[in-house]
Amino acid sequence: MQTRARRILLGFAAIFAVGALAIFLGLFEHSVVSPATDQPMTSAEMAALVSRGRYLTAAADCAACHNASGGAPWAGGQAFALPFGILYSTNISPDPETGIGGWSRADFQHAMRDGIGKSGRHLFPAMPYVSYRQMSEGDVDAIYAFLMTRQPIHTATPADSFPLPYIRQTMTFWNLVNLPDRGFIADASKSPEWNHGRYLVDALGHCGECHTPRDITMGMIASRYLRGAVIEDVDAPDITLAGLARLGFDRDSLVQFMRAGLGPQGVMTFSMHDVVQHSTRYLTQADAEAMAAYLIGNPPAQTVQPAALTSQADGDMTAGRTTYVAVCAGCHGVDGEGIPHIAPAMRTNATLRLPTAHNLLLVLTQGLPEHAFPDGEHFQAMPGFSNLLSAQQIADLVTYLRKSWGGQPRL
Amino acid sequence: MTIAQRPLSLTVNGHAVGPIDVPEDMMMLDFLHEYLDLTGSRLGCGQGICHACTIILDDPAKGALEMRTCITGAHFFAGKTVRTIEGHAERDASGNVVRLSAVQQAFIEHFAFQCGYCTPGFVTGTTVLMERLRKAPVARADVEQAIEDALAPHICRCTGYVRYYQAVREVILNTPGLVTG
Repeated sequence: MQTRARRILLGFAAIFAVGALAIFLGLFEHSVVSPATDQPMTSAEMAALVSRGRYLTAAADCAACHNASGGAPWAGGQAFALPFGILYSTNISPDPETGIGGWSRADFQHAMRDGIGKSGRHLFPAMPYVSYRQMSEGDVDAIYAFLMTRQPIHTATPADSFPLPYIRQTMTFWNLVNLPDRGFIADASKSPEWNHGRYLVDALGHCGECHTPRDITMGMIASRYLRGAVIEDVDAPDITLAGLARLGFDRDSLVQFMRAGLGPQGVMTFSMHDVVQHSTRYLTQADAEAMAAYLIGNPPAQTVQPAALTSQADGDMTAGRTTYVAVCAGCHGVDGEGIPHIAPAMRTNATLRLPTAHNLLLVLTQGLPEHAFPDGEHFQAMPGFSNLLSAQQIADLVTYLRKSWGGQPRL
Repeated sequence: MTIAQRPLSLTVNGHAVGPIDVPEDMMMLDFLHEYLDLTGSRLGCGQGICHACTIILDDPAKGALEMRTCITGAHFFAGKTVRTIEGHAERDASGNVVRLSAVQQAFIEHFAFQCGYCTPGFVTGTTVLMERLRKAPVARADVEQAIEDALAPHICRCTGYVRYYQAVREVILNTPGLVTG
């Protein structure tokens, strides 16, 4: 009996090992790229796609990672500190040795939509290929055509500092769990505009990469799609219909917020300010409207106007109001009206309406740098107040702001 | 309509002030100008950018802090101790100026300002910088950078900062204990 049990166990172990090896070698990986892309585009076909490719490259916000601060365009080198080491964004300029100059059309397609770069080297999902997988073949071709017209920059991408050299290949396991089988599938029951909006949100804009929470494998949780997540220690808000309505957005104001970076809801801050500067400001009105139609609905949904919570039994509103008038009202107005083009209004500010006070506390304690926005708009720097106010004063201020204008209970 | 008022007491340039009834939402700059007749602090931009309106808040724990009075409410200073531009020079018993502060004297000798509108802010900023250096001196090689960091927020439209910065460097180097090495 003992011998037989051992055999059975060994049998299971062998099957498991073979299965794991098969996954590791990528035998279960499934490409969404068609064989037609093995045929290179002609130079005339490439030239015809450049203009559209420039637009799509902005819509997909490639610059966010591949244009490092102070670095040459598309030369990568932006460092990302991950739990197991530092990863650098790659050089995607058309330099033949250090960039993607030697990549074929098919190489680029597989990198963007399968997460597998030239020579079968797996990408890490810091590159949002899970989202880009939904991009159409034609759009990926157009981005390829555009990037190939850029200035080649001879700069080697710094090597990652991960402890194990074969960790890239283990992405086969991650992909098995987290990479969808298929690309974008239109919902025939919805309008073309709705479908186009979903394509822009999910594939190009890759909004879910920040706004959808991740599970323990760092995969996006489908059941909590766009419901808000914490990224870079900031709350990325819920951008479902309910979440956006609660922040005070309707369709038109969301379109304006994406393209102008500001509106009655305040100004884009944290990494979304970069997203505006690199990406959403360049969206056409029609594309921004399609995204808003998908996210919010068309015709516009009713926004939620939070009523002030006026229970002052514990007296904390008075303390918070005193601090507000002392150090906030000079710019944000005694009644939260703000100063146009300089300091956002508080009365309609989306940050006060978020379910948690996390972002508000970050801004109050650390301040914000001055920010430029499209069309010459310029909002001035906000100082941090951790040096000037006590923790109790900040807590009272947060309660006052959220109760008065955010419809949120005390901290 | 009546404006809600609240009594305010504080210490200004070494003298106890108040209690005075002051509108709840009055900015400190207006209080200094209209209630105390201390008109040296200047209203420039009115939105906290130019720093012509700065005064010193003497915090018992943190020492001298620069405060922009155009965007800070008067009642923020309740119970606190402040120094305005009128409090820098030495005065005799009847309040006449007998000697300028070293910073004020250096600005005059260097012809640091022309129209003078920004000068109260620069005097304030430099004085705060020097009091900080007294507690935490910097290396000689870092003096210029320390000046730039401290005075960069102060805007001047006449002299292009060069003469201000030269004057500040001189007064820092001539004051014992602010620089190491």
